Amino acid sequence: MPTSSDLANAWFSARSWKPFAFQRQVWAAVGRAESGLLHASTGAGKTYAVWLAALRAFATPATGRQPAALQVLWITPMRALAADTARALQTPLDELGLNWTVGVRSGDTGSAERARQARRLPSTLITTPESLTLLLTRAQAADDFASLRLVVVDEWHELLGNKRGVQLQLALARLRRWHPGLMTWGLSATLGNLPHALEVLLPGGGQLVKGRQDKQLVVDTLLPDAIERFPWAGHMGLKMLGQVAEELDASTSSLVFTNTRAQAELWYQALLDARPDWAGQIALHHASLARATRDWVEQSLKQGTLKAVICTSSLDLGVDFLPVERVLQIGSTKGIARLMQRAGRSGHAPGRRSRITLVPTHSLELVEAAAARAALAAGHIEARRSPRLCMDVLVQHLVSMALGSGFRPGELLEEVRSTWAFRDLRDNQWQWALDFVNHGGHALTAYPDYQRVEAHPDGLWRVASERLARRQRMGIGTIVSDASLQLKYWSKGGGGKHLGSVEEAFIARLRPGDTLVFGGRVLELVRVEGMTAYVRRSTARTAAVARWNGGRMPLSSELADALVEQLDAATHGRFLGPEMQAVRPLLALQSQWSALPTRSTLLAETLGSRQGSHLFLYPFAGRMANLGLANLIAWRVSRVQPLSVSIAVNDYGFELLSPRSVDWASCLPEALSGDNLLEDVLASLNAGEMALRRFREIAQIAGLVFGGYPAAQKSTRQIQASSGLFYEVFRKHDAGNLLLGQARDEVLSEELEIERLQRQLLKMQNLQLDLRALQRPGPLAFALLVEGMRETLSTEKLADRIARMVADLEKAANRR
Amino acid sequence: MNTYLPIEHCGETLWLLPDKAIYWPARRALLVADVHIGKAASYRALHQPVPRGTTAATLARLDALLNSHDCEQLIILGDFLHARAAHSPDTLASLQTWRKRHGTLKVVLVRGNHDRHAGDPPEALGIEVRDEPLLLEPFALQHEPLPHPSHPVLAGHVHPVYVLRGRARQRLRLPCFLIDVQVSLLPAFGEFTGGWLVEPSLGARVFVAGGGQVWALAG
Repeated sequence: MPTSSDLANAWFSARSWKPFAFQRQVWAAVGRAESGLLHASTGAGKTYAVWLAALRAFATPATGRQPAALQVLWITPMRALAADTARALQTPLDELGLNWTVGVRSGDTGSAERARQARRLPSTLITTPESLTLLLTRAQAADDFASLRLVVVDEWHELLGNKRGVQLQLALARLRRWHPGLMTWGLSATLGNLPHALEVLLPGGGQLVKGRQDKQLVVDTLLPDAIERFPWAGHMGLKMLGQVAEELDASTSSLVFTNTRAQAELWYQALLDARPDWAGQIALHHASLARATRDWVEQSLKQGTLKAVICTSSLDLGVDFLPVERVLQIGSTKGIARLMQRAGRSGHAPGRRSRITLVPTHSLELVEAAAARAALAAGHIEARRSPRLCMDVLVQHLVSMALGSGFRPGELLEEVRSTWAFRDLRDNQWQWALDFVNHGGHALTAYPDYQRVEAHPDGLWRVASERLARRQRMGIGTIVSDASLQLKYWSKGGGGKHLGSVEEAFIARLRPGDTLVFGGRVLELVRVEGMTAYVRRSTARTAAVARWNGGRMPLSSELADALVEQLDAATHGRFLGPEMQAVRPLLALQSQWSALPTRSTLLAETLGSRQGSHLFLYPFAGRMANLGLANLIAWRVSRVQPLSVSIAVNDYGFELLSPRSVDWASCLPEALSGDNLLEDVLASLNAGEMALRRFREIAQIAGLVFGGYPAAQKSTRQIQASSGLFYEVFRKHDAGNLLLGQARDEVLSEELEIERLQRQLLKMQNLQLDLRALQRPGPLAFALLVEGMRETLSTEKLADRIARMVADLEKAANRR
Repeated sequence: MNTYLPIEHCGETLWLLPDKAIYWPARRALLVADVHIGKAASYRALHQPVPRGTTAATLARLDALLNSHDCEQLIILGDFLHARAAHSPDTLASLQTWRKRHGTLKVVLVRGNHDRHAGDPPEALGIEVRDEPLLLEPFALQHEPLPHPSHPVLAGHVHPVYVLRGRARQRLRLPCFLIDVQVSLLPAFGEFTGGWLVEPSLGARVFVAGGGQVWALAG
């Protein structure tokens, strides 16, 4: 039996592994009770670096019968990873004969396990940020965590940039108040701003440990046989089906990544149609499939029994799939970090080569592929930044902390301010949050009868009612999804097998008898009852593909810049690599009908059509910042003449389309000015629809809109109102509400990426405007023309807009 | 500018008002549906923070309509009170004050599904409450949009909205009146109410309300 400090070495040498220098570095640091952030590419051995460090430092060879009390908290961003992590952590425990237990606590944990954990937590608990907050709401929480020594935050890069990360920062602050010396280790993939990642996780400081990055990464592209002259937005890339099937044929196991669930469904279906002999050998994996189905797919992947899995970002993280040989990516990866992450799915073991093959869904993605390879070679990886001062998360946290034993405002403020996200929280903002949970807002009279948290005479703040406490526990979390329905097979006298979930908005468009594709099957809708949609198998050949409103990632600045570099090179006749050679005819057409964007020019195109006046502009700022620029420019032009425009954006640029004729060319120079940027963007928000969309999410996190109890009784229906309605009421009757302010701020910082927009505008000042009047839409403009998702901005009088549309209808009716 | 649109329906002249109500000159009656007084209050009672002011705004709009039209009676086609919480002292007090301003007016409420849950308004408000249908020749006035065996129906309940589409991919969602042979619909009157997208059947006439006017759409 080795002594504890040799445990790690003993276990490594038993498997004839040699610890890497970075693993020793972490072991030593944990031995000195230091915290830190370890970053390395996937499959480099991060898990064992911290886990064996913990065992070295805290475990003693088995003595008594009682396993060790809670020592390590292991935070994972995805429930799906918890079971795998548990298996990985268990292995050395068994082999070293340590009397430690490993348990999982997540939304999936069953009631028996919960009851066991209620009596005593395991030595190591694997949990998610949401479940951790829930554990902190228990009355005996401080005792539960009394023996805790180390918190490990796995995949920290996945949490850092979003509100789940903020929620975790608040939970960590609570744990640190109980244990001032608590050690924290973050595990992260490579990011462009690691010092920030470290500071957010450890505001008190810690060390940055660099893991192995020596993985060789190969990026190549499946070149289409023919280049389409007109790139088609929303194209699913199925033209490449034959070539993809050939690639899959040639390797024993592959992952095929898509960017949306609908695309995954389509590709799965199409591959099976093309190769019926693959039934049972290929599988589908996305977040809306039933848990059991996903588990089966993951297990089969690990056992190497599947030829290919068509998946979405649901398989981006963690889980060690050693047998995966090839990774294919359908469509753009939108960023370098994501490209690396997905490539790392193949050859997922130290020292093995990773390869990702890009499959373009339209011709311009060939340029992106060339750009991605260049950016990767130059080491241009994206940064992720933590959100700040999220009032919605703070409001939720206050109510959570008021559950259980309650909180004292003074203590809690200190704790909240110890986090990076809230370190600049002002006294009046804190007071607003307290007032808000207490009686609804600063204006005492604005919210009669409303109360969530009560201040008791003893100075403790507690939740006002048990009913509210239940509701709060159910609503904890910052992941906001659209209302979804469970999908089940129809069987007489009770529901059949559970298939997964679909968005209510999608089912609402279908009538009984209509068909849909889900989980790779064609199904017929039988009926919708309560929150369940019942289906049966169908033999129909055509069907609607279930769609989900997943977030659409913008192209990162790093990748966008690299893209412009490629186009710039093309204008100088340099077409480097097979992708640029292939796309050359298309770029030639663009420069013949209009021009190519370059490093030193800003391309703008105008076009008149039966629909109205079009302006196309290509700032290459990613879809979010492009949307902001589109709103800004539309707003500025509308000051000259009242305007209603339809806005289409993609990652390259945007289109403004007005039913009235507009002289875009003469308005543009002034509309591109860098002056009064913030004011004009704010003003454009009021005329557009973005703040409302953002408010939806904030309203749900702050508890304004309640998602409903599982199996909701009808009585809860009367308190469900759409967030759109709330937004209007707030705007009219409590315009000073900070949540409205936050919606506006978040639109600025997240939806529109205001800093990026600012940089972009500054950059655009120095670009030479290259204005082209189109005879017909060129390849770049065409992609925008056919973009289905549109926003509206209007500064016209409502009556004028209605009058025009009524007249349009009249004309249409007369033609009939 | 606040202009009404007179239409002929079943031999009667009805004024469609931009503020989502119907004035019936022959009967000197103002018709509104789905007022949902106290909806915000019932949210607050269930720990949902909704600012105050929606009830006052709704009543103020009702005042404006009653003052600018020669009304003998106000007929509410259901869902006057949103829920039991609308009986809170605050809400009732503002209703009482409102009622006093129109002392001579006859107010009739045709019970809707929400009224049944909320309970009838207190007698002191002087509102005549009755079950549907209320027959007022030639119409049957109802909350539920179900056909009546002998009379064409004017009803609420649905909160109808219509999406206008125009050139340059323009799109507008507006409350609407739906006038049909058997069942016609009024838009929801209340401030804090959502809308339900209607797909008019062939032969139905659609009128959208917005920008201070009522607009007839080409069928």
